Amino acid sequence: MAPTPPASRPDSSARVVWRVLRSNPLSLGGFALIVLIGVVAAVVAIDPHLLIPYGPQQITGAYHARPSWAHPFGTDGNSFDVYSNVLLALPLDLGIGILIAGSALLGGGTLGLIAGFFDRPGTLGGALSVVIMRITDIFLSFPSLILALAITRALGLGVGPTVLAIGLTWWPYYVRLVRGEVLAVKGLPYVVAARASGVSEWRILARHVIRNVLEPVVVFFTLDIGTVLVTYSTIGFIGVASKYPSAQPEWGAMLAFYQSSGAINAYPWEVFAPGAAIFVTVFAFSLLGDGLRDILDPRTRRAFVRSSAGREPPAEVPATALPSGTVPPSAPANDLGAPA
Amino acid sequence: MTEPVLEVRNLSITYTVGAGEFPAVTNISLKLYPGKVVGIVGETGCGKSTLAKAIPRLLPEPPATIGGGQIIFRGTDLVKVTKRQLPMVRGTGIGMIFQEPLNSLNPAYRVFDQVAESIRIRHYRDMGYVKTFQGGEVPFDYSKRPTATVSSSLTKPFVPDGAVGEVVRDRLRTRSDYRKEVLEYLRLVRINDPETILDLFPHELSGGMRQRIMIAMALSERPAVLIADEPTSALDVTIQAQVLTLMKELIDEVQTAILFISHDLGVIAETADFVGVMYAGQIVEYGPVAEVFHSPRHPYTKALLRAAPNRYKSEGQLSAMAGSVPNLSRLPSGCRFHPRCPLVRPACKAKLPTLDPVDPSNPDPEARVHASACFFQSEVPSLP
Repeated sequence: MAPTPPASRPDSSARVVWRVLRSNPLSLGGFALIVLIGVVAAVVAIDPHLLIPYGPQQITGAYHARPSWAHPFGTDGNSFDVYSNVLLALPLDLGIGILIAGSALLGGGTLGLIAGFFDRPGTLGGALSVVIMRITDIFLSFPSLILALAITRALGLGVGPTVLAIGLTWWPYYVRLVRGEVLAVKGLPYVVAARASGVSEWRILARHVIRNVLEPVVVFFTLDIGTVLVTYSTIGFIGVASKYPSAQPEWGAMLAFYQSSGAINAYPWEVFAPGAAIFVTVFAFSLLGDGLRDILDPRTRRAFVRSSAGREPPAEVPATALPSGTVPPSAPANDLGAPA
Repeated sequence: MTEPVLEVRNLSITYTVGAGEFPAVTNISLKLYPGKVVGIVGETGCGKSTLAKAIPRLLPEPPATIGGGQIIFRGTDLVKVTKRQLPMVRGTGIGMIFQEPLNSLNPAYRVFDQVAESIRIRHYRDMGYVKTFQGGEVPFDYSKRPTATVSSSLTKPFVPDGAVGEVVRDRLRTRSDYRKEVLEYLRLVRINDPETILDLFPHELSGGMRQRIMIAMALSERPAVLIADEPTSALDVTIQAQVLTLMKELIDEVQTAILFISHDLGVIAETADFVGVMYAGQIVEYGPVAEVFHSPRHPYTKALLRAAPNRYKSEGQLSAMAGSVPNLSRLPSGCRFHPRCPLVRPACKAKLPTLDPVDPSNPDPEARVHASACFFQSEVPSLP
């Protein structure tokens, strides 16, 4: 056989990710923002003094000072530095968002997989599926914010109980989402084809079902981190979760404090700073979600990669281009006289 | 004739949907021999695909239930095999090609990964890395399957069981081993420029390419039995001809037994050795392709052949068969074809005819297979 030309290397995943990001500035911005937020949060968590000039409740001597180089977001009525407080709240708020959404993804996602993949009636999995879905329905029938508030009241005030309360109300959405996606995917011809070629059920679950469910679920997850943040801040705003001022500031509680102290008209920067922090973080996660969708789904990825790489999809094999030695296609097949 | 590799005996399958019961397949018997193709033709809704999916037990149960019968594969009744053992039979034992080429490849993986998965399954079973199917009186022996590499099977004629000991089994260790093997199979299905195709995703390929990759996947497991459920229906005529030529070559090379399901009489005439004509879940006529198509002995076969458009003659109006396949939950009494039959008599409404040999005294054993489920089969040749 004639030597074949060296095969083109398949694109490494890192290069594909870079191409997709480069072709979509918004996603690139989202990724950059997330990296920035993550680094800042890590630095603040490890050694706050690198970025933060003042402690959370440090008297600076300037009351209601306008934003300046000394106080980028101004100071409040207690002469606390708003910038320091907003930044100090970042690790807590970010951690809460990832922790709650992450545990909901793992817990709810697993339940959803079980309920979706093993839901054949008359089997143990089918019974389990019914139980999971009815419990999920019960949780979903309460507005999650109200349910979280009720649980918080029962567990007591503070960050820990609030996180637990939101976590307890958050997973049902993932059960429903994952189950729906699994039900849609597991009936598709390629799953049946994999089963027909002797792939074991566990491998079908891992390789064919989970992989194709991943994209919508991961996108939902990143958007959901933002939703958790807003929910936590809402509970903080009502004053159930955290108090402000305190040694561990939190954006929702800050907003509530400044808003109720009547600062919004006279000293708008005090309200603006924690509000903008929530907005920027949630926005960054939304952009990240869009970018992840492009990366995870090869079908949307194609448009970006092709346009930036200029590689054309190969043409269909023409009948005349068959390799030598192959039998040319015989007479067209729908001729009834053939077996004579 | 040699031993059949797969035998279906009196298989019946019922779908339970809501309160209704739909007997999709009733009392079907079939024998598949190595290197032979059995075609199944029939109208939409006559149970062809149900039969195809029932053999490797791919039908979701429920709603489907196997009401009775046996599927004997190498001495084991697949109806009695446990769910855990089924994957061990599928792929290398009984392979399948589906009719939806556009959705039968996983959109998330490149062509290489998909074909390599099939090769890996076969390889692990060949090398004894994973448990293979045991059970029944005759143990399922994978060493009896051809293990030669593809390249040798392309250049040399297939050597059956006896030579197994001499064939060197290559170990596939690295990605490049698999890559080589995948390329072989892509070339086998006549894919041009396989090195490029390897790294593409399914959505970047045309329907014909995807179908050929599906076929490559099924063949790469070197199955003893291949069930092709309308493998060419979604393809245009030129690709169809290529795929059919390819499958015929492979039958000669690999000695696979094929069950070929199609609604296209021409495709069956081209490919099959034997043909079964299905109507409302039953085989109404069975026999060698030439016999059945040239001297049909069932009025349904006759009508089906008449309805096929002739490419060489323009006869004006196409002849359409009156009526349609009956609703399976309200089957007519007696012969299921009688409401549409030109030969109908009172006896047809009273009793269900059985599949009886057309010419039991014929000296040719192949011709003796020809059977028809019609009380008045001798009168069929006189029909227009």
